[in-house]
Amino acid sequence: MPKTEYLQGALDLLILQTVTLSPNHGWGIQQRLRQISRESIAVSQGSLYPALHRLEVAGFLTSEMTASENNRKARVYTITVAGRKRLSAETDDWRDFALAIGRILQAE
Amino acid sequence: MAVMTWLRSLIQRRRVTREIDDELAFHLDMETQANIDRGMTPEQARRAALRDFAGVVQAKEAVREVRTFRVESVWQDVRHATRTLAGHPGFSVTAVTMLALGIGITTAMFTLVDTLILRPVPFRDPEQLAHLWMGSDRGGRIVVAPAVLRAWQQSPAFDGAESAAPATALLEAGETVVTRGIATVTPGVFNLLGGVTPLRGQLFDDGGATHSNGVLVSETVWRTLYDADPALVGRSISVNRERLTVVGILPAEFRFPSADTVLWRPTDLIRPGEMAQAYVRFATGLPREDALRLATDAARAADAQNATLRPWVFPLAGIDDAYSKQAVPLLGGGVVLVFLVLCANVCSLMLARLTTRRREFSMRAALGASRARLMRQAFVESCVLGAAGAAAGAAVAWGFVSIARALLPEPLLMQTLNPLDLDARALAASSMAGVVATLAAGLLPAWLGTRVDAGESLRVVNRSGTETRGARALSRGLLVLEVAMACTLLIGATLLARSFANLTRADRGLDTTGVTTLWLSFGGNALDAAGRAALARTLEEDFRQLPGVQQVAWSYGLPPGGGMTSFGDWTSDTAGSSPQNLEVERYVVGPEFFSLYRIPIIHGRGFAASEPQGHVIVGERLARTLWPGLDPVGHTFRFMEQQFTVIGVAREIHYPAIDSRLDRPEFYHAYTEASSTPMVSLRCVPACPDAAVIRNHLASSHPAVRVQRAAPAERNYAAQLARPRAAAALALTFAAIAVIAAAGGLFSVLSYGVSRRRREFGIRTALGASPRQIRRVVFGDGLIVAVTGAVIGSLAGAALARGLRSLQYGVTPGDTASWLLVLGIVWLTTVLACWRPARTAARMDPLMMLREE
Repeated sequence: MPKTEYLQGALDLLILQTVTLSPNHGWGIQQRLRQISRESIAVSQGSLYPALHRLEVAGFLTSEMTASENNRKARVYTITVAGRKRLSAETDDWRDFALAIGRILQAE
Repeated sequence: MAVMTWLRSLIQRRRVTREIDDELAFHLDMETQANIDRGMTPEQARRAALRDFAGVVQAKEAVREVRTFRVESVWQDVRHATRTLAGHPGFSVTAVTMLALGIGITTAMFTLVDTLILRPVPFRDPEQLAHLWMGSDRGGRIVVAPAVLRAWQQSPAFDGAESAAPATALLEAGETVVTRGIATVTPGVFNLLGGVTPLRGQLFDDGGATHSNGVLVSETVWRTLYDADPALVGRSISVNRERLTVVGILPAEFRFPSADTVLWRPTDLIRPGEMAQAYVRFATGLPREDALRLATDAARAADAQNATLRPWVFPLAGIDDAYSKQAVPLLGGGVVLVFLVLCANVCSLMLARLTTRRREFSMRAALGASRARLMRQAFVESCVLGAAGAAAGAAVAWGFVSIARALLPEPLLMQTLNPLDLDARALAASSMAGVVATLAAGLLPAWLGTRVDAGESLRVVNRSGTETRGARALSRGLLVLEVAMACTLLIGATLLARSFANLTRADRGLDTTGVTTLWLSFGGNALDAAGRAALARTLEEDFRQLPGVQQVAWSYGLPPGGGMTSFGDWTSDTAGSSPQNLEVERYVVGPEFFSLYRIPIIHGRGFAASEPQGHVIVGERLARTLWPGLDPVGHTFRFMEQQFTVIGVAREIHYPAIDSRLDRPEFYHAYTEASSTPMVSLRCVPACPDAAVIRNHLASSHPAVRVQRAAPAERNYAAQLARPRAAAALALTFAAIAVIAAAGGLFSVLSYGVSRRRREFGIRTALGASPRQIRRVVFGDGLIVAVTGAVIGSLAGAALARGLRSLQYGVTPGDTASWLLVLGIVWLTTVLACWRPARTAARMDPLMMLREE
């Protein structure tokens, strides 16, 4: 499991990417991240929820309280247009960054 | 969306908290369920989920922090700003004072301009209302014959035509006897104006009742003299010793036809000799020229005297005389300049603090504050400063308007039928402007401060804190601008003040000290000539009994400019002389007139006891014009069909006024037959009894005599002095504020400069620079700013002075004394502002300085 430091910057990116696929609630996002990364990325709730709310305050996500399975109240997050723009910009940045790191590591 | 979320979190904090609780509870439930699905017992599942959650409370706190971050940090900024400002009371008080002055003055001035000029009179469709009279191209009597008014009432040109003539009356309420404005009006006048509803009682034309002995009183009189007695309507009160029944009470806001009118009497214009002062409402839809053509025809048909005259229209809306039209926008411009100077000063004050602030900002940036965060803090700080300034400004504006209401010359206030009240819109607008200026001034330091990279502020070499080049250029530029504007204002103010001084000092050609004048009316044509003469004799006896009275002079026409004005062609008897088109003042004067006013007869003789009709005494100016280089005594001249013989030449009398046309040449007829509306001048030693006392005395001794006006002769000149005085006083106030503000700005900027350059000055002194040389450096710094500003200001001032030309009396735009005075003041102020900083710099002890390093 990668250390949190790597994750901090990328968490927003991962959340936005996950929500792009379909609107989801916090638990669903967490599960999906775990599944897609094949259990290698586990985001703690203590980081996930502040990040979700931060993204919403920043206008990249919107949320709605809905009645979910078992008639429970769940907050479902949806990506906004600004969020999509941010995602594509961040994705490009991340790719460049990853490429650069990769090159440096190979240059050895 | 973000704003919405934030707003929601602000308003519905509790709901947001509950929602966060719900959200996290849902997560726990889901996790627990998932654990159960993996084969755990419900209890194990729950425990595992909680363990996974790593502290629900912490998670909640973290989320809540995200949600409430903004609100609390703004509040934090406000507290921080208040602390910072309170920590620098000198700066804060100065900045707030300047803002408050700027906002206050601007608001007050806008209120005045709005009340006096911009706002229409408070009547229905005021643009259709006008005061109308017939005159030649040069003017004429403002009254028309009742027949003309009736013709206008019938004319399709107007929706209505009524008469309202202002005068003053003696009003008795119990023991108190006061003089108050009264108007004799035709009953329909209230309808003509529209929107007049009595507070109590009714108007004259209500209910078809006749109210010939009725009177309407203003709320102000009702409250001040009758203690708002609810039973006043229907009671009788004493006006000019006549019992009149109060018909109704009009609201205090109703001011017509004059702003001081508080009593209204009805008239049907059938008394002999009574004239009408016509107020008309133009018919809607009819072009103004057509309406006036119809009005002219009607007036000519009704009264043959109007044959050669044309209508003069004075709209009721706003001030229309040339002086105010020019002076008020100029003063308004002056206000804007003062406002700019004060804002520039606040701006330069904040810039002067930039050095310390910049280090603070850079330090905080280095510790991780984002630029946006720093800008926001600067923004909040400016807002706090601006809000304080605006609040204080409202108080200042209120004060100014109160002062203006109390002190503004009556002729100016009387021009508006609007009450003078503080204007909320103006306050809002200038507060906004002030806050925007502060914001601009406050954000600039933040921007400049956050632009430098964090490391720079920590560098050792920078510890003496030199200014950034941008800030230096900006603060110097602002100072130059301030000095320039102050200089411009000062030039305008000096010229206006000198004009006013010249007006008051101007030679009037006569002596009015201790002279009181009375305008009397013997009641129309009720008395014949013999009766009037008899009445005049007993009156004169009466006057001579008054304490202190030494001389009594009858006249028709009183100086200044109170005679009959005749204009047309005047022809002298010298061979080959061409007619002179002149406006000439004619006075009909009694035997004591010349000696009473100390007007010497310089050629020929004065009037004998019974002087033939055609014999006149001419003033010097008329003599010079008609008989250049000749002694006019014995000569004759003609005006229209009349011929006059000159028996003497009197020293010219002058009417000092901005409008030089008011100062006309004059000549005098002998007052042989008592007029029905004579004037009396009384010379008393040392001073005459108060005008109200004389009126009261006359009212008891000669009830048939009406006193239309009684005032010290000096006051007759006041009308032409009041506005120049107000203009000069306002302009001087503005200029003084601007000069003090500019000097303060210069002082603070130089002081800051010196305190920053202590190290430099210390080293210079250590290297052998004399205190004088150091002083010169600082003075040089200040003088460059002042001289540049003064040059720019002088150029603008020269343009202003030319613009002011028509408001000047006895000074030219290039008046040397005024310019020397202005430049002297600017120079002196600069030296004063530079003095302390220069001394501080020169007294710096190099050893102390170097030890500090």
